[in-house]
Amino acid sequence: MPIQPILRYPHPVLKKLCNRVDQIDTLIHTLVADLVDTMVAGPGSVGVAAPQIGVTLRVCVVDVSKNRFGKEHNHGLLLMVNPEIIARSGSATMREGCMSIPDYTGDVERSTEITLRFTEPDGAERQIETRGFEAVAIQHEMDHLDGVLFLDRVVSIKTGLFRRKNY
Amino acid sequence: MTAEQEITHYAVSVVGKDRPGIVAAITEGLFRLGGNIADSSCTMLAGEFAMILIVSLKKASGERGLLEELTPVCDRIGMSLGVRTLSGDEIIRQEPDGEICMISVYGADQPGIVYRVTRELATRSINITDLNTKLIGSEAEPVYVLMLEVALPEGETAEGVEAMLAALKAELKVEIGVRIITPVVF
Repeated sequence: MPIQPILRYPHPVLKKLCNRVDQIDTLIHTLVADLVDTMVAGPGSVGVAAPQIGVTLRVCVVDVSKNRFGKEHNHGLLLMVNPEIIARSGSATMREGCMSIPDYTGDVERSTEITLRFTEPDGAERQIETRGFEAVAIQHEMDHLDGVLFLDRVVSIKTGLFRRKNY
Repeated sequence: MTAEQEITHYAVSVVGKDRPGIVAAITEGLFRLGGNIADSSCTMLAGEFAMILIVSLKKASGERGLLEELTPVCDRIGMSLGVRTLSGDEIIRQEPDGEICMISVYGADQPGIVYRVTRELATRSINITDLNTKLIGSEAEPVYVLMLEVALPEGETAEGVEAMLAALKAELKVEIGVRIITPVVF
């Protein structure tokens, strides 16, 4: 069951606070594989968080390397268990959309540089610094782990009337 | 200054089925009259295109001049037209004193979301400066999104507004978020 359907709001799981992963076992490995398969299958998708496929655990994947905004600066495929932002700076507004809320986009303000700590599926602790589009994508996916949708962060009323463009 | 040279402001609204060339057709008419577009907001709602313009014009042309110029244009492109002359004190730019807030409301579609939320705001003298709504989601699970930009009266806070809307949020089972978006001026 690799590619999972993306849950759409108002599915209640999307507003849930997700639980920390205590132990990385085969279930987590399967979950990470499913997230990657689901992300790759989504047209233009640059990330998927566990609650988007119905799992309330703090796991998400991001890969902006194939995206036109992310090509220049990225860390490739990031598999993140219990990700935490330990430092952030800067702020910029970008129009965002979300596979869980189709047909709507809005301007969201995000930190432009973040320092991130997470556990990889093999158990290794990793710390990275990133910026720009990759930083935005990570913040968007991490919001899902707190039950926060981009609609909760829209700062401008000039919301998108047209179908969102894929990232 | 003679009355002939005085500048008067008009509120012009144009609504009709969307197609390319509406703005060009209307603004050509205004250009011919020597009118200025002071403020405007034009947008597509479903398949309709809606224009609201505050137009300044030498009094000599007047409301009748505007109607004479724009009526045939609107008839030709199938739009409805409304013109209203503004009195002098209506056009003074009003800058809100308090904080500017974004209020987002979304959840399962149901009758009365806009009314219930805006009624709460009205009772606290919270002025709506911009608003848009959109029906998204699927036919089986329609989701309503309401975004409001409001000016808070002196002393009102985002937390206060959030608390004021808490009961409504629980009753309608919708998400309601309030955040300050007052621009920082350096």
